[in-house]
Amino acid sequence: MVLLLIAVAAYPWSFYYLMQHPLAGSPALFSAAFMTMRRVPMSEVAVGGGRGVLRARPGAQAGPAPAAVDARRALQLVLAAIWLFDGVLQYQSFMYTKAFAQMLGGTADGNPPVVARPITWDASLVAHHLILLNTLFATIQLLLGLGIAFRPTVRVALAASVAWSLGVWWFGEGLGGVLSGGADPLNGAPGAVIIYALIAVLLWPADRAGERPPFTAARAVGGRLARALWLVLWLSQAYFALAPGNRAPEAASGMITGMRGGEPAWLQSLMRAAASLTAHQGLATSVALAVTFAVIAAGVYLPAPAAKATLTLAIVVSAVIWVFAQALGGILASGATDVNSGPLLALLALTYWPAGPAGQADDEAAPSPVALTAHAEEKLA
Amino acid sequence: MTPAWLLDIVAACMLAVAAVSAARLVTARPWQRGLVTLDTDAAHLLMAIAMAGMLATSLSTLSGTAWEVVFALMTAWFALRVLADARANGARALAAGHCAPHLVHSAAMLYLFLAATVPAGMSGMAGMSGMPGGSGSMTGLRAPTVALLFALILVGYSAWDLDQLPGRRSRTGTARVALAGGGAVPLPALAAAESPAVTAGCRIIMGIAMAFMLVIAL
Repeated sequence: MVLLLIAVAAYPWSFYYLMQHPLAGSPALFSAAFMTMRRVPMSEVAVGGGRGVLRARPGAQAGPAPAAVDARRALQLVLAAIWLFDGVLQYQSFMYTKAFAQMLGGTADGNPPVVARPITWDASLVAHHLILLNTLFATIQLLLGLGIAFRPTVRVALAASVAWSLGVWWFGEGLGGVLSGGADPLNGAPGAVIIYALIAVLLWPADRAGERPPFTAARAVGGRLARALWLVLWLSQAYFALAPGNRAPEAASGMITGMRGGEPAWLQSLMRAAASLTAHQGLATSVALAVTFAVIAAGVYLPAPAAKATLTLAIVVSAVIWVFAQALGGILASGATDVNSGPLLALLALTYWPAGPAGQADDEAAPSPVALTAHAEEKLA
Repeated sequence: MTPAWLLDIVAACMLAVAAVSAARLVTARPWQRGLVTLDTDAAHLLMAIAMAGMLATSLSTLSGTAWEVVFALMTAWFALRVLADARANGARALAAGHCAPHLVHSAAMLYLFLAATVPAGMSGMAGMSGMPGGSGSMTGLRAPTVALLFALILVGYSAWDLDQLPGRRSRTGTARVALAGGGAVPLPALAAAESPAVTAGCRIIMGIAMAFMLVIAL
């Protein structure tokens, strides 16, 4: 179970890692479990030798060679996979019940009227056209994932994902509880979906001229703005961690206990331990979280080795929160509309990972046509 | 509950995938040439038929036990192929070999059949009626964490496959390999089925549909 836990928590990292690193340099741990993702299109090719030797199937069209995947493209694909997964989650039975509309309406509580009224209107609309609208929501998310993964449509899909995320942040998450005082970083504040938008902006397929980006997130918006966005996000998490409602003695343990329902036994036992650990320790938990978030926030301004250490800390903290506080986003309890903030914060951290001297590939360039090896040509001659 | 018409649409997609896979098997003419792709096309065909049957009772073909045997054999076959690849070419064959993704797909199908249950109190509700133990009942899955893992891996594969699809600029650049002495010109529809993009498209549809089935059965 622990291995499964690690595997699930490491999903964004492993996916990114596999697409970024040459096979020859991949550690055995990753090779055994996940290296299968780096492959040439099957059916038309077979593997031979060190590099993938393409052998044409007689009489068949030659398939494209695997496209070059740079760091940004790899991260875009992780984002695409998460959108695809969210789309699939949205088709769950729970989303076709009135409880989904009630869940949407519940996010209006505590928000100013100007924010709450549109949420209530939207929830009412969803309740009246549940099947149609939920199917539409799910399909849109699926299309966003497909669009980001398909190179010719990546720009359109990323732009659409920003618009969609902002809409869901308001109408589906009540602005993440930022204005209602209910924001809790353990529970995904300032809203998981806003992190989708942030990542989409940072992974926009454009490069600023005349500047060597220090990390992937800086390629489109520049290092200064990218760092500022990171700082604002993590400092806001630190602020929310110290909010009165979150530093109450039973706040953390109560939140964790509330998330346990419907989860598998192994996850429940982990969360029970976490709830027990934080019981009556609300203030200490909040302070520890706030300090950790502040360190992470400052990390991107530090030299590369220290930045890597704080980014690793960000990934670990995101994974711990995702497992112990967010119950893997509640996915296994069949009521989750998304994966919650844990994997997205980990993915975001990867966009700030200090860059090596890697070149910048053309993200929209389509895969190059296959070049048949001499071996294959001989075979066909 | 997830609407029945939605499940029917997914089932129809699976039938389309099955038809394409069958066309590929026919155009491959395996009785004339030794090919390495017969198993993958056959796997696609069988998986698509099984998935269509799980989604819609009217499309059900074999019993759950029979499918379990089929997918157990298929999983074992692809596991052996992957091991053989790994022995011959080292660990990198696990990544670049053409069998590893099919191993995941086969194992996911086997898991779907083995893990299906009927939760208490769900009897009579609409769901994946063709699943074992389903028969008009909502199905659940034992060991749901495994379902989550499979679903994540499947959507990951789908995103990767989509990234590898040729875009406008290179679609016409893929070379048609002329066979010396191979004068037979395939019908346009059959030729289309041979296209790598169509194959990848089928794999993407199948991967997402499988993730969909795993998630809604949680």
